[in-house]
Amino acid sequence: MRPDLELTSVPVWALNPTRPGADLSGRAWTIIAFGPHGADIAQTWIDQIASVHGESAVRLHRCDDGTQCDDGTASAIEALTADLVDARVGWRLMMAGPADACLRLRGAAGALGVADDEMTVASTDDDARTVHCVHCGAVTRAQVQLDQVLPCSSCARKLLVYHHVSRRAGTYLGFMVDAEQPAEVPS
Amino acid sequence: MNTLKLVVTAIDDTVGGIRTLTLADPDGNPLPSFTPGSHIVVECGGKANAYSLTGDGNSPTAYVISVLRCADGSGGSRWIHDELALGDTVAAGPARSAFAPVLRARRHLLVAAGIGITPMVSHLRSAQTWGRDVHLLYIHRQGRGAYLDTVAELGQHVSIHTERAAFSAELLAALADQPFGTHLYVCGPASFIDDVTGAATRLGWPDSRIHLEHFGSEALDPGEPFTTRVASTGEEFVVDAGVSLLEELERRGFEVPSLCRRGVCGECRLAVSAGTIIHRDLYLTDADKEAGDAVMSCVSRGGADTLEVAL
Repeated sequence: MRPDLELTSVPVWALNPTRPGADLSGRAWTIIAFGPHGADIAQTWIDQIASVHGESAVRLHRCDDGTQCDDGTASAIEALTADLVDARVGWRLMMAGPADACLRLRGAAGALGVADDEMTVASTDDDARTVHCVHCGAVTRAQVQLDQVLPCSSCARKLLVYHHVSRRAGTYLGFMVDAEQPAEVPS
Repeated sequence: MNTLKLVVTAIDDTVGGIRTLTLADPDGNPLPSFTPGSHIVVECGGKANAYSLTGDGNSPTAYVISVLRCADGSGGSRWIHDELALGDTVAAGPARSAFAPVLRARRHLLVAAGIGITPMVSHLRSAQTWGRDVHLLYIHRQGRGAYLDTVAELGQHVSIHTERAAFSAELLAALADQPFGTHLYVCGPASFIDDVTGAATRLGWPDSRIHLEHFGSEALDPGEPFTTRVASTGEEFVVDAGVSLLEELERRGFEVPSLCRRGVCGECRLAVSAGTIIHRDLYLTDADKEAGDAVMSCVSRGGADTLEVAL
């Protein structure tokens, strides 16, 4: 049975592309844009902030959208960590890009002490997911939706992508879908 | 609720208008530990008032509270000042934590006015024990400063004011320049809390970094009469202006747990199954109030339609 997903750990923006306006309640901003679609949204945010506060307090970091590898989020986390060194209360993080990259960046931001109400996320697509295999611990990144099944890249178990995402790691929980079926007898 | 019987082992009236009580177990046993910033609700001459505990909370042998005499209050503080004597016994509820330090904060910025210093003393003691970075801004009226020596001993970054303008200037500068990860704690009269949180919000502080401890709500107007229905019995009646929903329910024989009766403690919360609510309490969060499914029956009231309480 599929639960009301709003009540799970899966954020709304990880299920559908979501495009919120800039958080204008802050005084300084770090904006991280993944890929060209993220950069479009970032530009809208910068314009919105400029119309109210002026542009000086915005730092924009453009990162790879991570469709090929993890490099996009790694450099995003590096930029975020550097910005936080001299950040004061009143600072906000806004990120725009694929939900998968945003989930990972959100996890890193949380570990750095950024609160939920200091983060704004715009997701440009929600096709890819990183799934954590609860059996072997490996993570598999694939184009997969919730409740679908994908093979673990390490142990090849058939993993059901469950409606739980780790706030820390940004990975979905995947467990063996056919664990209770009798094993096939090798011929 | 397991009520504590506490005996008054010391009374300190050094600071004008403020009586500090040391309360201990009659048999000398240690009292329950508490989270820094906690308060106890003390029965004082038929009233029940909440007072902050000033200790660090770790295996206390006594609870120390400071009571400001409120000449025009409901009478609880006057009873403590005028009637309570050394060796007397008072009843108090267990410590309740509603103003705890956020342990992962990079820094704790404490802002207190007047008797609002009491929970900050508890925070400062705990911060000293655990080596937390803590800053205190404290304003009090000339000659009415409680715990002045104590806070000066406890914190390296303590700033004490009696002039409003100088205090405000330092407060604004502090709010504008805190390292990311700082949490703000405010205790004082309602108007003071509004001023500080307003300034913080204008400087970009998100709600999750602002923590408040209210003394109590301002005197509330009597409100308009409204109709209430009790879901279980179907009983329907009018709550008159000047009468609280809690009082009316009690008069009709319903048992509703209650403590402070001024919208602070959260004890008299009732589930609401229908009807609009005029929220007047300090307990429910904005999200709770928006959800509209709970009412603090001691202060909040119904609207034009019938308020159905799930009793």
